[in-house]
Amino acid sequence: MWEQIRGNRTKTMVLVAAMAGVLLGIGYAIGFLFFGSPIGGLFIALIIWGVMTLVAYFKGDNIFLSISRARKIERDDHPRLYNIVEEMKIASGLEYMPAIYIIDDPAMNAFATGRDPKKAAVAVTSGLLQKLNRDELQGVIGHEIAHVKNRDVLLMTMCGVLLGTIVMISYYMTHMMFWSSMSGGRRSSGGGGGPAMIVVLIVGIVLMILAPILARLIYYAISRKREYLADATSAQYTRYPEGLASALEKLAGSTVPLQSANQALAPMYITNPFRKKGKAASDLSSTHPPISERVRILRAMGGASFSDYNSAYNSVHKGGGSVMPATALAGSGLVGIRAASSESAIGEPSKLERSREVSDLMWKKSNYKMINCSCGTKLKVPPNIKKFTIKCPHCGTQHSV
Amino acid sequence: MKCPTCHNMMIVVEHEHVELDYCPDCEGVWFDAGELELLLETMQLQQSILSIDSVLTSQETKSKEKKRKCPICHSKMKKATVGHDPEVLIDACSRGDGLWFDAGEVGQIITQVPSTQDVDSQGRVIRFLGEVFQARD
Amino acid sequence: MAVVGIVIGAAVVLLVIGIVVTYNGLVRLRNQMQNAWSQIDVQLKRRHDLIPNLIETVKGYASHERGTLEAVTNARNMAQGAVGKGVGAQSKAEGALSGALMGLFAVAEAYPDLKANQNFLALQEELTSTENKIAFSRQFYNDSVLGYNNKTQMFPSNILANMFSFSEGEFFEIEVPKEREVPKVSF
Repeated sequence: MWEQIRGNRTKTMVLVAAMAGVLLGIGYAIGFLFFGSPIGGLFIALIIWGVMTLVAYFKGDNIFLSISRARKIERDDHPRLYNIVEEMKIASGLEYMPAIYIIDDPAMNAFATGRDPKKAAVAVTSGLLQKLNRDELQGVIGHEIAHVKNRDVLLMTMCGVLLGTIVMISYYMTHMMFWSSMSGGRRSSGGGGGPAMIVVLIVGIVLMILAPILARLIYYAISRKREYLADATSAQYTRYPEGLASALEKLAGSTVPLQSANQALAPMYITNPFRKKGKAASDLSSTHPPISERVRILRAMGGASFSDYNSAYNSVHKGGGSVMPATALAGSGLVGIRAASSESAIGEPSKLERSREVSDLMWKKSNYKMINCSCGTKLKVPPNIKKFTIKCPHCGTQHSV
Repeated sequence: MKCPTCHNMMIVVEHEHVELDYCPDCEGVWFDAGELELLLETMQLQQSILSIDSVLTSQETKSKEKKRKCPICHSKMKKATVGHDPEVLIDACSRGDGLWFDAGEVGQIITQVPSTQDVDSQGRVIRFLGEVFQARD
Repeated sequence: MAVVGIVIGAAVVLLVIGIVVTYNGLVRLRNQMQNAWSQIDVQLKRRHDLIPNLIETVKGYASHERGTLEAVTNARNMAQGAVGKGVGAQSKAEGALSGALMGLFAVAEAYPDLKANQNFLALQEELTSTENKIAFSRQFYNDSVLGYNNKTQMFPSNILANMFSFSEGEFFEIEVPKEREVPKVSF
């Protein structure tokens, strides 16, 4: 079944081809309007696209991680998170353990990077680690590993670059057009203007306005499709759709905006980091399907297989067709849902304990010195403090730094 | 994090799993919104009764005291009052990032003993600060 | 004549390509299945390694639960003895071990000092996760077996499978006493 998911991307490929078509169209128009040679325009568009693609391919994940101010962690830093990632790595059959990053941000979100499954990374915010229990975190990590396994990271990076190129070219085209009309039209092709020139100009203007919009809509359509697939894959890995559903609910309820979000990264996050509070995301202009809908689909699943997800999708959408590739459905058999591991189970840390676990990790990564006072109070001292002794405010004991 | 009053580095004080940022120089205390939430949740009461908003989004109080900048978002904080008898004037981030108590305010607050029967969220915060800063001069 | 020759030649080339692709597909699936099996092995071994540590920790707090502790030790030794004795025998021994561990954690519930012990908590996280990893690797292994078996049974790849004796894979089912559906330990 794993082979088939990878194999079946016909619809996605059509959409990507459409985006490439828009890029070529705009390149053609530019060449025609400004250089008197449509082929030249095509070449320019292709070269810009090619350079941007190379940069994104080889440097993309580093750029993303550093923009997000993500810190790499090891097994001992946060054993539970490491274990959960390893569990999902095993469930997905990934060959290599992804690197794990934590972003110090009270907002709740997570994303995956890595152009190929050998060099994948997952990043979660500290807010997410504090607020989700084990099952919920597993659902989120499952979704991110699914993005890696389904090669969405590469696909969405490439689509993002395509979109960026289109937006950039049409932006400069606007400026060039404005500039050339101001300077009286240096072009010689029209032989002094005339109706033909006006038609070309109108076509150019329309294209330049429409191209970025069209490209964005296609891009969003691809992204939403991959989100559904990643949700279904996560449910399949964990055998427990409720974990992801309840995590998504907590994410929807969180009011804190992500501080370090990046437009180009948006489809990689588990929920849209640019979602406006209290405004229902309209269908066409979002990288993610509405969270409430994703939750409803996950909760309507009778089993944990792709066909269960598909029928749940249909029951929520009332005859909305299929979201899963047909071949993926054919291969999936009967897959049961496992039982919940109870929240009150011993060994499952409370939200308060999880908060200290994560904040202590962040202090440690910032080289804070930990002083455990005998009265039970803990003092965490920054490395650059200009003091030699610190008095515990609770019991008055003097501690040397 | 830097102290909004004297701009020196603050240390973190953890008491009963709740963290406070404490300035060892001027003895002021920053109570972060996330930590306030944790403190109030440990009370295990209904959110409607013990709402963090009732502490964070209190009415702006007119005052001639100098405005300080929030150590998180660096925008100017508003003046607000907490406690009864006397009401203590503190600084609250207008974006809801947290509360700032300077040394004198902490001193005023911890001498208040909120009645144990009907503690609201403000009462809980006051009691917690009193517990933590037992050894203040 | 030349046309017929070209057609026959093309057919032969296509057939050869088909055979190569099918054969490689079978090999790939079999390798995936074997890799998946070694994943389970790694996790089972990890569980066997963790148990003596757990027993030592629990002993310090609940020494008179001798029966439960011994049951876990015995089940562990049985499971270790079953390594390499075929999928069936191993499934059975591992199932018994999972059951014994559940019993131990149920007993631990009554000892608050033990439940607060950092070492115990860390071991518990490791064992929970190892238990999950066993379940997930088993899940992936069984999916791989299903894919591989389908290929060896279905036409036309079954012809090649028979010719090069690709034998069927065996499913790995852990039969935990009482709780069949739930491979995860709830403490």
